[in-house]
Amino acid sequence: MIYIIDHEDSFTYNLAHLLEGFGPTFVSNYYDLNRKKLERSNIIVFSPGPGDPSHYPETQKVYKKYKGDKKIIGICLGFQQILYGENANIVPQKKIYHGYQSKIKVLNESALFKPNKIFLGGRYHSLKLKEPFKSSSLKITMRCVETNVAMAIEDTINNVYGFQFHPDSFLTVDGKFLIQKIIQS
Amino acid sequence: MLNNKEYINKIFQSNKPLIIYKTVGGYDVYTDFKEKIFLNSKNFKNFLNKKSLKLKSNIEELNCYIGFFGFQLLCENIKVKLPKQQSTNFYPGIVYKPQTIIKIRKNITIKSLLHNYKDLKFSLSRNKYFFQKKFNLNLNELQYSNLFKHFSKKIKLGETYQIKICQTYKNRSKIDAIEFFWKLMKINESPESFLIRDNDYSIISCSPETLIQKKKDVITTKPIAGTLNRTKKMTKNFANNFFKKNEKESKEHNMIVDMERNDLSRICRAGSVKINKLKSVEEYRDLYHYVTKIKGKLKKNISNHDIISAMMPGGSVIGCPKINTLKLLNSREKINRNIYTGSFGYINANGNMRFNIIIRSILNYKNRVEISTASGVVIDSKPKKEYKENYIKAKSLLDLFKT
Repeated sequence: MIYIIDHEDSFTYNLAHLLEGFGPTFVSNYYDLNRKKLERSNIIVFSPGPGDPSHYPETQKVYKKYKGDKKIIGICLGFQQILYGENANIVPQKKIYHGYQSKIKVLNESALFKPNKIFLGGRYHSLKLKEPFKSSSLKITMRCVETNVAMAIEDTINNVYGFQFHPDSFLTVDGKFLIQKIIQS
Repeated sequence: MLNNKEYINKIFQSNKPLIIYKTVGGYDVYTDFKEKIFLNSKNFKNFLNKKSLKLKSNIEELNCYIGFFGFQLLCENIKVKLPKQQSTNFYPGIVYKPQTIIKIRKNITIKSLLHNYKDLKFSLSRNKYFFQKKFNLNLNELQYSNLFKHFSKKIKLGETYQIKICQTYKNRSKIDAIEFFWKLMKINESPESFLIRDNDYSIISCSPETLIQKKKDVITTKPIAGTLNRTKKMTKNFANNFFKKNEKESKEHNMIVDMERNDLSRICRAGSVKINKLKSVEEYRDLYHYVTKIKGKLKKNISNHDIISAMMPGGSVIGCPKINTLKLLNSREKINRNIYTGSFGYINANGNMRFNIIIRSILNYKNRVEISTASGVVIDSKPKKEYKENYIKAKSLLDLFKT
């Protein structure tokens, strides 16, 4: 089962709509977690949402508890929540990307996607990962072609993945494929 | 006996409660209400899911409840509480069960559950109407731009991605709703226009925005995001190019499209939510709108209440993400929105529905008229421009009070 932790976003169900195609999917609010279902799930997804990762201590606890145990996927805020859980700083960026379509490039570090491939992705974020960022297992695997901002992470040891952009957005070309690769990895 | 045209003129001149709803090729007039239900957050869910909604007569169009849901009712329905606001204590929501429908097309046809509907006695209106040109606006340009700056900060912090600031024009008037409605239709007939005239209030609106169109298990929504002030020489083609090239308008629109896809995805079968017609331009007297049509197939066992809760209040008039943006708005708005950004429409016993978003509306209650308008703040917005956009949106309604 896929368990989506919803941070009361207006894009969460776009993600659920995509994920439902890969298996039973359960959505709950971040303040109303179903512990039994969370325990039974094999994939946990952190949804997009307003604010920054420090606003959601409950989700941080879930990350710490299940990291390495279950596959964890984070989208937008969820992506930042994973990084925040790895002691990264999440900071405001100069240019704000709400409803923006950007060219995104796959880096050589990616284990799942074809390096150097460039595709279009839909973005909804005013905050970003502050770099340099160092981690022993988590790798930055995609970047914005124009600004070089981190767009995806992969940790194949602990089975943790994330996208700063929205594979669920109609602005992302073939977002379903991106999700499928991670679900089936 | 009166012919259909004489009959309809007579009821227009009377004070008989009635509803007019724009439809393809004309207007439907609903009247002879058998039931009137005052809605509140306690009975709303029960009303939407109740079995009597399934009672059937042989005139399909009359197996319905038609009316409006106010903004506060829709917020409370999704568990967003409003703080104490300045309020005229207008009704949170009312629905009516009609027994007669008059279809105004090339010809006028009437269907009624009553045999003697034309013989029913009703008095001619003795209301004294009056109206004035001048309106009070609740936010002046400075207050507007302060609020604008406050919300811009919230956008930079990621607490909202887009937020709509609402302004309200008010004055003391009692209008002849029927006269005002037809005057409005002459200059600005829009696809979701409607009128409600009851004994103690009236609403007229030239809303362009369809929130829910449900036929069998197919549900469609048609969000509007993007407005261009129309000048005399402007063509639709020009408007199309303007929206396409304008990064700010495009981003604002993209956000609303993804949000409405999301709301449909709550209640639709996996993989069934599709964009039907992306980014087309619609033409109105004073402005052009940028519109997208999105469709989905409902899951099994979805109730009326599930549909209303997923879709209302409509996201395009609030901002994004819905819940947090509503909370930010409600913490700053000092007067109750009443009907504005609520919803008007009907639910039929066969499960079909049609609902709009109440915008471009006049509410007349207790000799007070109010007209509200809103436009969006995104990161690239300029307060002066958005303030002006609000005025453009209200203009064709305000103009009605000048003649």
